[in-house]
Amino acid sequence: MSDAWERLDPRMLLIHPVREVGKFLPVLIGLVVAGGVSGAGPWALLGVVAPVALGVVRYLTTTYRVTDGRVELRRGLLQRHALSTPVDRVRTVDLTASPIHRILGLATVVIGTGGVVSDADERLELDALPREQATTLRVHLLGSRQAPATDGEHGAPIDEVEQVVARFSPRWLWYAPFSGTALVAMAGLIGAAAQFSEIFRINLSEEDFAAVDGTFVLGVVAVVAALGVILAVAGYLVTNGGFLLSRHGATWHVRRGLLTRRETSIDVPRLAGIRFGEPALLRLARGRRVSAIVTGLDSSQASSAVLLPPAPAATAYDVARAVLADPAPITGPLLPHGRTATTRRYTRALMGATPFVVLLALLVVGGASAGVLLVAVVPFGLALALATDRARSLGHAHLADHVVMRSGSVVRSRAALGDSHVIGWNMRATWFQRRAGLVTVAATTAGGGGRIEVYDVPELAALALADAATPGLISQFHEEVR
Amino acid sequence: MSELRDPAHRVSPRALTLWHLTAAIEAAFTGIAAGVAIAIWGPDAVRWWLAGVPLLLLALAAAVVPQWRYRVHRWEVSATAVYTQRGWWARERRIAPMSRVQTVDFAQGPLARLFGLATVTVTTASAAGPLQIEGLDKDVALALIDELTRKADLVAGDAT
Repeated sequence: MSDAWERLDPRMLLIHPVREVGKFLPVLIGLVVAGGVSGAGPWALLGVVAPVALGVVRYLTTTYRVTDGRVELRRGLLQRHALSTPVDRVRTVDLTASPIHRILGLATVVIGTGGVVSDADERLELDALPREQATTLRVHLLGSRQAPATDGEHGAPIDEVEQVVARFSPRWLWYAPFSGTALVAMAGLIGAAAQFSEIFRINLSEEDFAAVDGTFVLGVVAVVAALGVILAVAGYLVTNGGFLLSRHGATWHVRRGLLTRRETSIDVPRLAGIRFGEPALLRLARGRRVSAIVTGLDSSQASSAVLLPPAPAATAYDVARAVLADPAPITGPLLPHGRTATTRRYTRALMGATPFVVLLALLVVGGASAGVLLVAVVPFGLALALATDRARSLGHAHLADHVVMRSGSVVRSRAALGDSHVIGWNMRATWFQRRAGLVTVAATTAGGGGRIEVYDVPELAALALADAATPGLISQFHEEVR
Repeated sequence: MSELRDPAHRVSPRALTLWHLTAAIEAAFTGIAAGVAIAIWGPDAVRWWLAGVPLLLLALAAAVVPQWRYRVHRWEVSATAVYTQRGWWARERRIAPMSRVQTVDFAQGPLARLFGLATVTVTTASAAGPLQIEGLDKDVALALIDELTRKADLVAGDAT
């Protein structure tokens, strides 16, 4: 890269004004309406010129360069911003391209340094560069640290070979309704309907309620469910259409998005582990999802760490195998947490169900027919099913140099964290847990949510796990007991 | 059979006094607020029960919780690791290797300064909670910071 300050692509002169006009639209409409009333032409003209001028100013004042191992960016006319960061601090380079960008062959480059950026002004964002230039810049920023790797047999740099691990298939859309977004969409629809009736003052009278019969209720439920499913599938398609996971030398590339295309890169040394998502609904549909635990990428940037959206289980296992180089952390057997931990799952679930049952009992006392008590079967049944699944899911292991933890039911996930990325241990136990000889174990790391955690591990098993992953760290604080 | 033992050192006994004091102040404030609320809105018949039970609980908490906390709070620094234990009802033990220590922080609140106490916070690159030792004697805290800085400096790498 040269030392000279470079400008963004001149084609941005086309994009910026269009966007600015978009932002100015309310003002423009106001001006046109006002102009129509008073017949003042020049003001309407200003409404068009101002956004275009802003776009030009933005183009002229934004410059960047990569020099002396630093990335520097200057922008702003009145409020000048000069951003600078060392190249070896760069943790992620994301390329995004909106439909307009894609038509013009441009891509926006967002350079991430792993720090907490509160203000959009402080983001290292180059909007936008020609596609090839953006790709070259990414390789330059991410590739400068690692020596070019060669594969033994042919002596050719591995970088040349792009190895595709997973590619979008329309079949994946089947998993969209099971991913939880469908439920969110349904909740949203119900909320919107409530708002709507509020706005239009639709008042429901007693007769209206009397007219409601079983068919009507079923019809409403069916319509809401269908709309929720459609929204979920559409959302999935827009976010994940064209998904491609591939490995390029020592870097993983994730590309996705039907309209706005987004490309994320994760270099292998920073890939601390993976989280294998197995929520209950997705398990029913035989689907799984995979995300990466990336050093320097916290949970607020979770969308940058997606390795596979909800997809067939077989594909997810392939991805896990490719990313971890060994399938054991995901497929290997886990150590169960024993009877006390299982009992705790049942007590907790049943305690959760108790308030509903008490409520029903109060209704009966208050004069309702005793048949109402039969409804209590529902919360109890749900609680038992939940507890059974939670107890079955609970487990941990040390497999192929990875700490592996699995817990949960409705949102069950199995996390595998490489030993070298474990930067500490948190062991938490309430008074009840201490009495049961159990402890909640968290292996901390510099990425993801900061840790992977599993509850109710028998104390000795917890120490064995920590000893296996970080030899000598915990054992110095051991004490012999009879 | 072996198990994880408690860290070697207790915090300063003056921390116990400080915690009793802060707990008493908090309990007093909550108690006054609750008392006023009950005096205004409470029904006459059960007013004394309504006021008495929470006050008793608050007083009990102010008396017992600091004692309990003092028994739990411990710390230890070895050549290769920092080990802390804190909490009361829920006890949390945290262990971080010296090689992963990023910053060491020394803090003194106004009350703590009065008692000559300090809090040392050791952070790693993880977002999942720093290791915190509350209620250390000020001189012990300063010596500890010195020691930690020296040991952490010896290890190369960016601690991620």
